Order: sequence, then structure tokens, then C-alpha cells
Amino acid sequence: MVRSGLTAAGLLAPASAVVAVGLVLPLVLLFRYSLNRFVPGQFMVEALTAENYVRFAADPYYLAILRTTILMAVGVTLVCLVLAFPVAMVLARARGRWKTVLLLAVVLPLFVGNAVRAAGWMVAFGQRGVVGSLMEAAQLPPVTLMYTPFAVFVGILSVNLPFVVLTLSSVLEGIDERASEAALSLGATPAAAWRLVTLPLSLPGVLAAGVLCFILTMNAYATPVLLGGPRFRMMAPTVAGEVLQQSNWPFGAAISFVLMAVTLALTAGANILVARRHRG
Amino acid sequence: MVWGSGFRERLGRFAFRTAAALGLGLVLLPLVLVAWLSFFSNEILSLPPEGYSLRWYGAALAQPQFIGGLWTSAAVALLATAVGLLVTLPASFVLTRRAFPGREAVVQLLMSPLVVPAIVIGSALYMAFVEFEVMTEMPLTGSVAGLALGHALLTIPWGLRLLTANLAGLNPAIEEAALSLGARPVVAVAKVTLPLIWPGVVAAALFSFVVSFGNLEVSLFLVAPGQTTLPIAILQYLQWKIDPTIAAVSVVQILVVAAGLLLTDRLVGLGRVV
Repeated sequence: MVRSGLTAAGLLAPASAVVAVGLVLPLVLLFRYSLNRFVPGQFMVEALTAENYVRFAADPYYLAILRTTILMAVGVTLVCLVLAFPVAMVLARARGRWKTVLLLAVVLPLFVGNAVRAAGWMVAFGQRGVVGSLMEAAQLPPVTLMYTPFAVFVGILSVNLPFVVLTLSSVLEGIDERASEAALSLGATPAAAWRLVTLPLSLPGVLAAGVLCFILTMNAYATPVLLGGPRFRMMAPTVAGEVLQQSNWPFGAAISFVLMAVTLALTAGANILVARRHRG
Repeated sequence: MVWGSGFRERLGRFAFRTAAALGLGLVLLPLVLVAWLSFFSNEILSLPPEGYSLRWYGAALAQPQFIGGLWTSAAVALLATAVGLLVTLPASFVLTRRAFPGREAVVQLLMSPLVVPAIVIGSALYMAFVEFEVMTEMPLTGSVAGLALGHALLTIPWGLRLLTANLAGLNPAIEEAALSLGARPVVAVAKVTLPLIWPGVVAAALFSFVVSFGNLEVSLFLVAPGQTTLPIAILQYLQWKIDPTIAAVSVVQILVVAAGLLLTDRLVGLGRVV
């Protein structure tokens, strides 16, 4: 069909051009700007300095934001994997109409957008919301949930679960059911069959899902903004704040690259760690 | 392994079911709560509700930022889907049919909008747009065209995934038969290949639409006062307060996305897409 190399190049060109012009070029520009100097009142002054990166690394305020983001990402990923695995197993085993319903239940929230889902948690955690009213009805002392790290944790967990469930269930569907049936027929308890057969076979999927969940949390924007409130800071909202509210492009650009570099380093580290464990 | 199996197994099954129900509940609960709030008759969030009413749907329609946002989002999503498909379709042909040096690099490039954090894509595009505006004096930020370009970028990885999966399952001999019978390549693609991969094209289109329609992080940088998308309008309102009006707007967004997904399921089966 696509015989000549010239035709092939011509067919690849439009998509590559969109990504090159719309993403690669702006990223290069962003990196260049991260080396510029921000002078209040003058906007951006051309320079070749690492001072934006140094400022990030030297300021405890920003380091705390990075630490909060990483801790949140690790915590959410661990809980997410534990809760998503059973859901993925149910989804992988489901058949026919029931499967469609389950799939829709997982995919619909995924595409509805994070703001709408945060709105749902605001109904739950708000001052006169579901949890508050239940506590009042049970005559328990009121607890503040809104604008706490806990609210953000639950919100991101809910946002990421569909991604993790879908990744895990696609891996589980590829595992031959007869493997765990064999274990059961040889006398293993369901728990032992799961631990000794299903889990090891699905480990690559668990890693992929975990890495995806980690990356999504590192980059979370709407959930920390809406459920964490103005005083709870994570990386993505900080980037947006520097670029849009402070108009400090160089520093916003530098934070963007810190975020990408840290995420990349940690996910690569996890991959190596799991690969080594797996081999040994 | 017989010992204790009765109690332990029941305990294990209970733990498994609890975790599955908890996971599914955490995913669905926010949508259920938003839908519930949208029917409250009281103006502020307060439980239990004083009664139920549909008037907030009318109130939501009366707010220009939501109606405007809905149209902007729809226009942007349609345009982004069209551009995305137009560039992704030919690329997926080449990537499934030809092995060439640097193929992996091209795939990496085209998938990169999914790898780079959306907030970083948004920042970078915003700065590039502003520089472009300074150079050409053509407004890009806050325009439907600018938003559509940003969103088209995001649709490319999804379209590529769905289309290459469909094309890979297609026997190239059918196409070659058309060609050997004298059809020009363009005719062969239009009359033979496209009808055969039609489900994949529909799925790619619907997914692209939904990805664009729900986007927040990139839109955030590219909207302007008076020209926002629906998710941004929702976000800005929620930063201020939560009430039945915004819940009604959210339900509209949920319905649009649900319609897109149900249509996908009808046409190609949801299980084949995700």
C-alpha cells in the first residue's frame, strides 16, 4: 500500500508536524525560558542562569511542596493498587451485559473530568455535607475534612482508580484462567492461589499501573486546588500559579522541568528496583 | 491446606468483596453525590435536603458562562477531533504497514502528548502562543483555534492507539486485491480500507472528542475572560462555592460524556476501545 518512502514520509508528516510545532518547540522554548531571569516589574530578562533551579532547590517552601507531592503520589499509588486489584479481577471475569455495565461505571468517571468529580467530594466533605451531617446525626464531634490533605488523598484516589483498574484488568484478561484453577485443584486455598499464581503472573501489569498512578498524582491539578484549598500546595498548581498569577515565566518553567525530572527519575528507579527483585 | 479453610476462605472472600466494593464505590460516589445535589431545592449545600426541585437546571442555563462554555467546549472538541483524525489516520497507515528505520522514534514522538504532564504542555503552549501573538499580532490565546490546536495534540496518542490496533487486525491482502484489480491507492483506501476499519475510526473520533471536551490542564492556560470552556467554567465556579446550580451544570457534562461512551459501545463495543 504505502510503497515509496516519499509517500510514507508525506503521510507521517502532518501528525509529526503538529506534535513538533505544538509540543516539542514549545518545550524547547520553555526550557530556554527557565534559564532567563525574572525581574519584578520588567517581566523577563534574557539571561543564561541556573538561578531559578537553585532557588527551587534552596527554598524550604518549594522543597516542602515537592515532598508533599511525592508523599501523596506514593501513598495514593499503594492504596490504589490494593483497591483496584479486586475491582480489576471482577471486571476481567465479568461477561456480557454485566461487563458492559461495569466497564461503563469505570470509564464514565474517567472522562467526566476532575473538576466534576472534585465537586462530588465537596458534597461529601463540605461543612454541611454528607460526612458532617452524619457525624451530627450520630452526635459525634464535628471533624474538618474539606481543605485537608485527607480530602485531596481521597479525591486523587478516586480519580486514579479507573486508570489502574483498566490497566490491571487488561493484564488479568491475558492470564490463562487454568493456571489458578490448577493451583486450586491441587489443594491451594484461593488466597494461596492468588499469591502464588495470579499475582506473580500479573506483576508487569501491577508495575505499569503503579507507575501510571504515580505519574498522574505527581501531575494532579484540579483535585488539590479544589479539595486542598489555597494553603495546601502541590507541584502542578504551583506551576500554574507561577505562570498565570505571578507571571514569573522563568521560575514556572524551571518548576515544570523539576517536576518532569523528578517524576522520570522516580519511575525509572521503581522500574529498575522491580526488575532486580524479579530477577533475584 | 485443609485446616481452617472454611473460616479463612470466608474471611478472604469477604475481604476481597469489601475491597472491590470500596474501590468501585470510591469511583462512582462523587458522580452520584453531584447528581443528588443538583436536585436539592435548597440553595446552599445542606443536609438533609429541604425538598427536591429541577429549578437549578434552569438557573444553570441562565448563566452565560456555562452556556458559552458548553458551546466553546463542543466547538473546540469537534475541531480538535477533526484535526486529530486527519493527521493521525495517514500516520497510522504508515506505522502499521511499513517497517523503517526510526519508526520507534516517530511512535515515541506521536505518543509524547500523553507522557509530558498536561500542566507542562499547557504552560509551554501558552508561552509559545504569547510569543506568536507578539510576533504576528494574531490572537491565539482565548481563541477556539488556539484551544483546538492544543487539544488536537492531546487527541493524537489516543487516535494513534485505536487506529493502529484496528489496522493491525486487517488483512493487507484485501487492499492489495483492490490495487491489483486496478484501483488507485486513494480509491482502494476510501472504498476498501476505511469501511473495514470504520469501528476504529468511530472509536478514535469519540475518544478524541471526550478527551478534548473534558480537558482542564491545557485549557486553563489557553482560555481568556469571556471565552472559557465548560470544565474551566466549572472549576472557576467551584473555587468559589459548591451549590445545586454547579451540580446541575456538572450533570450536563456527565450526560454529554455518557452519551459519547454509550454511542461508542453501541457502535464498536466499549471493551474493544479501553
